Order: sequence, then C-alpha cells, then structure tokens
Amino acid sequence: MDQSFDDVWAECEDLFQQAHDTLATLKEPQPAHVVQAAVNALFRNTHTLKGMAGMLGFHNFSRAAHRMEDIFDLMRKGRLRSTDSLVETLESGILALEAGMGELRRGRMEPEDYLHAIRRELGELEALARPAEGGAQDLTSMLDLPADAMKALSEYERTRVTALLMSNLPIQGVAICLDFATFDERLRVLSEALGQQGELISTLPWDVPEAREGLAFLLMAACPAVDLAALTLLEGELITAVLLAHPDRVPSALKEEVPSQPAPPPVEEVPATQAPALAQEVEILRLPAHRVEALEARLMAVGQLRDKASQLVRRNRGALGEHPVALLAQMEEGLLEVQKSLLQMRMVKIESLFSRIEPMVKSLSRDTGKPVKLAFAGGDLELERSLLGRLGEPFLHLVRNAIDHGLEPPSERQALGKSETGSIRIAASQRGRNLRFDIRDDGRGFNLERIESRGIELGLLKEGQVHTAEQLHRLTLEPGFSTQDRASQLSGRGVGMDVVRSEIEALGGEIHLSSEVRRGSLIRLSIPLSRAVVSCLKVRCAGQAFGIPLGSVVRVQAGRALRHGGDQVDVLGLSLPLESLQACLGLPEPAGQQAFVVLGQQGAASRSVSVALGVDEILGRGELLLRSLPELAHAAGIMGGSAQEEGVLWVLDPEAVLGLAMDSLMRRVARV
Amino acid sequence: MSERGAWLHVKASGLDLLLATSDLREVVTATPVALLPGRPKGIQGVVSYQGEFLPVLAWEDLPGGRAADGEPIAMAVLRPRLGLPIQRIIGTLDPPAEAWREVDGEDPAAPWLSGVCVLEEQHLRALDPVRLIALLRRIRVDR
Repeated sequence: MDQSFDDVWAECEDLFQQAHDTLATLKEPQPAHVVQAAVNALFRNTHTLKGMAGMLGFHNFSRAAHRMEDIFDLMRKGRLRSTDSLVETLESGILALEAGMGELRRGRMEPEDYLHAIRRELGELEALARPAEGGAQDLTSMLDLPADAMKALSEYERTRVTALLMSNLPIQGVAICLDFATFDERLRVLSEALGQQGELISTLPWDVPEAREGLAFLLMAACPAVDLAALTLLEGELITAVLLAHPDRVPSALKEEVPSQPAPPPVEEVPATQAPALAQEVEILRLPAHRVEALEARLMAVGQLRDKASQLVRRNRGALGEHPVALLAQMEEGLLEVQKSLLQMRMVKIESLFSRIEPMVKSLSRDTGKPVKLAFAGGDLELERSLLGRLGEPFLHLVRNAIDHGLEPPSERQALGKSETGSIRIAASQRGRNLRFDIRDDGRGFNLERIESRGIELGLLKEGQVHTAEQLHRLTLEPGFSTQDRASQLSGRGVGMDVVRSEIEALGGEIHLSSEVRRGSLIRLSIPLSRAVVSCLKVRCAGQAFGIPLGSVVRVQAGRALRHGGDQVDVLGLSLPLESLQACLGLPEPAGQQAFVVLGQQGAASRSVSVALGVDEILGRGELLLRSLPELAHAAGIMGGSAQEEGVLWVLDPEAVLGLAMDSLMRRVARV
Repeated sequence: MSERGAWLHVKASGLDLLLATSDLREVVTATPVALLPGRPKGIQGVVSYQGEFLPVLAWEDLPGGRAADGEPIAMAVLRPRLGLPIQRIIGTLDPPAEAWREVDGEDPAAPWLSGVCVLEEQHLRALDPVRLIALLRRIRVDR
C-alpha cells in the first residue's frame, strides 16, 4: 500500500480519536456553548470521514458516516438534545465506523450497513428530532443588523440565533478592525477568546470605520455580556461591543407557542470564569514515522560521538579536571530527555483503548439483558500508538465473547448464588519487556466438553485421545471454530477468536486462555514493547550496573552483615531466601553482600513468591529509556538495556530473575 | 558463486574470510561491545547501531572459530542485523567462477560457510549469513 494511502488511514485514526475525546466531553455536564462546540466538532469529524471514505471508494462507509453527520447536524441546529442515551448511541455509531475502517484497512469487503447494530436507536433519534419545517421560528429579524449582514447568515446560524434567544441568552456583537498583515491569525485568536465567553455563532464581514485601514469583522456570540478586557488587543486594533438582540424582546406569546424549542442542555451552574471550555483544537503535526526514526538514529549517532568524547575525557581526566566530566553528564541528561520526548511522540495511554470498550459493553449489556460491572486497571501505562490501532478489534471481539458466551443471564447467576451483575475486569500491566492484558470475567467459563465434541466433529481432534484443558482452550483460537449452532447477533460466527490470535501473533505477542467451570475465564494477552520508559532501582553487581523495575521491588535493605546466596533473611516478619544476582545471571559468586532487594511478583498478594536478591551496591533510582534486546541476544533475566554515560545498563526482567533465583536456590539445596 | 558480485576480503577470527558485499549493510568502525551477563552462546554482547542494539558475534563460540588477537578495528554489519568484529580489511575481490570450491566437509567451520575460493594458492572461506544465523539459533537452544 503506498504511503499516501497510509496517511489517509492515519488521518482517519486521528479523526476517530478526536471524536472519542469530544464525546467524552459530552458525557459530563457542560455549559451550552461547550456542548455546541463539541457537537460542531463531531459534525466536522463525521463530515470529513464521509468525504475521505467517498474518495477511497468506500461508498457504504461514506453513507454510514453521512447518517451520523445528519444526527450531529440535528443536534447542532438544536433539533435534538444531548442526553446520556443519545451520546451512548452516537458513541456506538462512532465505534462501529471505527471497527469498519479497521476491517477495510485489512482488505475486507464492505458490509451493507455499518450501523446495523444501532439502526433502531438511530431511527428513534431521527423520529424524535423536531421537524425543521413548519414549527421553526426565525427570530433573526430581531438582530440589530443591516440587511446585507442579515442576508449573509446561513440557515444554521439563523437556527442558532433563534434557539439561543428562546433560551434567554442575549446575542452580542463584537466589531473589530484588524491589520491587513495579521488579520488571519488575529481573527482566529479573538474568535477563540470570545468563544470562551459564550457560543460563537458567526463571523461576518463588517464596514471599516472611517479614516482607518485594514479589515473589519463582526463576531456574533451568545453570552450575557462581553468582557472586552479578556479579548487582548494589539496596538492599533479597534474593538467595539454592541448588543444585537435581547431575549426580553422576544414576545412571551411566541415563547409559549414554541414549547418544543430546545432548552439548553441541563447543566450545573458554573461561573463564567470557571466554565470548562472545550479543549481547543490542537494543531496536529503529521510526520511520517521514518522521519522520527531518522531523527532517533541521528540522535543515537550524537550519543556515540558523546561516548567517544567521554572516553577521551576519561583518558585525560588528570589534565582536564572535573569540569568536562560534569559537562558530559549534563549532555547525557539532555540526550536522554530528547530520546524520551521522541518516544513520547509515539506513545498513548492505554486508557484511550479502554475508553473505546466502555460504551460497547454498555450497549451489549443492554441488548443482551445482562447487567455488567466493568472495571479497568493500568490505564496509565503507555503503549505505542501503532499498537493501539491494532489492538482495538481483538479487544472488541474478546469483550463481546465474554458478554455473549461467558456471562450467564441474571436469573441463572442468581440460581448459582452469584451476583446478578456479571463482572468483566481488564487489567494492563508491564511484565518484563511485555505489556500484559488480563481480561477476566466471572461467568460460566469455557465448556470444555462441548469444545472437545465440537473439535472431534470438525475433525480438529481425534476421538479416544486425551486432550488437556490447555489444548481445548486453544482450540477455540482455530479458524472457523465455534460451538454455537447458530450465530447470535453478537458472536458465535466462528470468526473472531482466530482473528484475535492472528492479530496478537502478528504483533509478536501471545494469547493464553484459561477458565474454571462456573468461576469464569481469563484471557491473557502479552504484547512485546520495542521501547519504553521504565522507572528502575539502579544497583551494581559484579562491576556492572543493573536496573530493577520499581513495580517489582517490595523492599530495599542494607546492613553491616555480609550475606551469601542460600541464606535466609527476615523482612517484615517473613523469612525469605536470599540469592545473589551474580548466581542468577551466571556471574562469578561474590564473597558476600551487604545489600539486598526483595523482589515480588508484580500485582500479586504480599504472601506470593518473593525472594531477596543480593546486590553489591544500591545506586539509586531513575527513569530509564529501555531498548529491547534483539532476538539473537536474548539473555535469561535481562529484558533490555539503557544507554548510559558509563555504558549499557542492563534492565532486569523481574519475573525471569525470580525464576532464575528459585532455580539457583534449588541447585544449592541439591548440592547439599 | 561469482554471480553474487563483489566480495570483501577480511581477516577475522584468525581466518581469511570473504563476505559478499550484497549481504552487508555496511562496515563501521569498531566500538566497545557492551558485554551481556549470561549471554547466549555465539553472542558476546551488543553495540548501539542506528538507534537499536545490534548483537555482536563471538567468533570463539563457533565451530572452527577462535578469539581474535587484539582489538577489532571494524565491524561488518550483516543484513540480518548481526555485527561481525573484524581485525583487518584486506580489500574487495570478484573471483572468477572457476576459483570456487565446495566446502571441505572436514573443515570445522563448514556449518557457517558457503564455499571456498582458491586464489593464488590462498584458500579464502566465504561466510554464509543464513547458515550462520541458523547455527546461532541452534547453539543457543543446545545450551
């Protein structure tokens, strides 16, 4: 696929992300002008998506985006009120379009109707909308404007003026005269500033005052009063405020005649100065990934130059003194910061993946009549943006399956002594160089007997052979495997789990399934990270520096007594076995160590496996830019390395080190 | 063998070796290798290369290979992202087809060679990157 096509997909991803963010704004109580700005942004997003899909020849997608655009248009014209259920439906629609775009990107055929799953809700919304013809009152004639300015108002602007006056908001005008050279930027800045005070309805060309040069505009906004001081002016700029129309002048009879006129969305009283304005549209700078990579490579070359300079300085330290060493340390710090910033450009928080799952679960819960308690953990962790786009679909399949197949209906759960509300918990954690996702439900678990008989029926298993639980669980990941005789609307089509597996494996990851009858299921996804910033405890051992991810460090202790591998140490009332890091990594055994680090399994209970790891010296803590090791260089217990002033600092994989420590301790026992 | 174009004649692991230039990303100045604790057999450590870690071959772990005398002066970077420390670069060659011989099965280095070039009574061994990588994977598992 050529690069320009990739750019289109990337832009679509951005548009979907913006749509999710904006919909999130609508979920909270907001002032009317913020709601209006959000709806306008969503209207523009879907309009752009429609155009882009049409350009690519995806006409069914374009049609679906157009339908969503129509709903946003109804909202922005005040013909539909923003309510929780409306936002939920719109969220489902955006998710359906996003999932559809993902399928198209993989070269799949277009479905007939992308919005099939919410067609009933969309129909209801369209029916609920106040009809445009007949009942619509036009109050723009109340505006104190010349006729030619009045003619310039669009249908949308007229509708807004009417709706806002009916909502008892005055319409204000701000006339500004700007310099030819800078009017473009200044108009944008002043419009944004006025938009903070109320809903900006229109920007009209205006007459330039006599004896002035430049361009003049009239900004029309709905707000109780205009705070001119907040519109910071440059020297030579002229500004005047006028009241264009006051709602008191709207005849009361007319207000009574139009009961269906939408009131502003119910909002909590928020003082104007504290009004949470809709996030300003951030300018998105689109860069091809290879440019960032080239920059990273260049930065690495600079790092290598720094290394050479550092070697020279060290060799001549006596003659040069300490100052050059300090300068190089500063340079190292600066380089690390730039590298981290570059990495941040590629990263997104996992919570943006979670935010896409939540509305789908709500919608499925409603459709299936199964109440679901959804919980997330680890949303603060970050993953590469490119991974986020590819994980969306697998997650949707897994959650859909959990609700459709895993969770029992409320009556069945009650009969089993379970809470009527099913539970789905999605937890992300960083394990070694992998990002791990655990998706747990407390449903009925996999029906292994059924899977086995279906496997035999499909010729995937041989009759009479013993099949382990693991084999049977994995069978559900085979293409075309399904135990459902008929496809439900949600799942059971025999597609999905194999898609999940192929997508996860294509990312170099793994999927592991397990379940307990009537207790629930656990689906574990492990995705390798190529780079990450990891907070570590830095230690020294056998003359080398190592980093231990802080998430796995339970305690750090140092004393006078020398300890040896195989000793027991008392920590917080527990007696723990001690093993030296040297023994774990196959390095020469130390004569004895005074410091140790208690390692525990990340996220596990305090009584789970933990070991005291003997080290020569505790160096402190720091944030390290972790680079993973190439496959040929994978070494047991090492998850990656971080380039430092004194060389590469190896970052330990705590889980692997725990395993190595236990093995080493077992060998000691065997030797005795 | 000659259809592979030019060959780089180097001295590495105490051997005269030929590296097909089509198999090379580039040849760079040697930099200190970060030694990997608990390293896998065949790999001594890594160096930074184009923003990533590049594994560096441990010649002494290969059958028929031996540790270099002294510090390497350069590193040949193979396309499958593996660094080969080199003691000396002798030059480039484009040997005629008749100069090529099969690898002697008795040669301990046979598992990572593609052929031998006999030029002016010199026996120059040609390294086969695909066989070398396969061998590295194998000896790591065997360990």
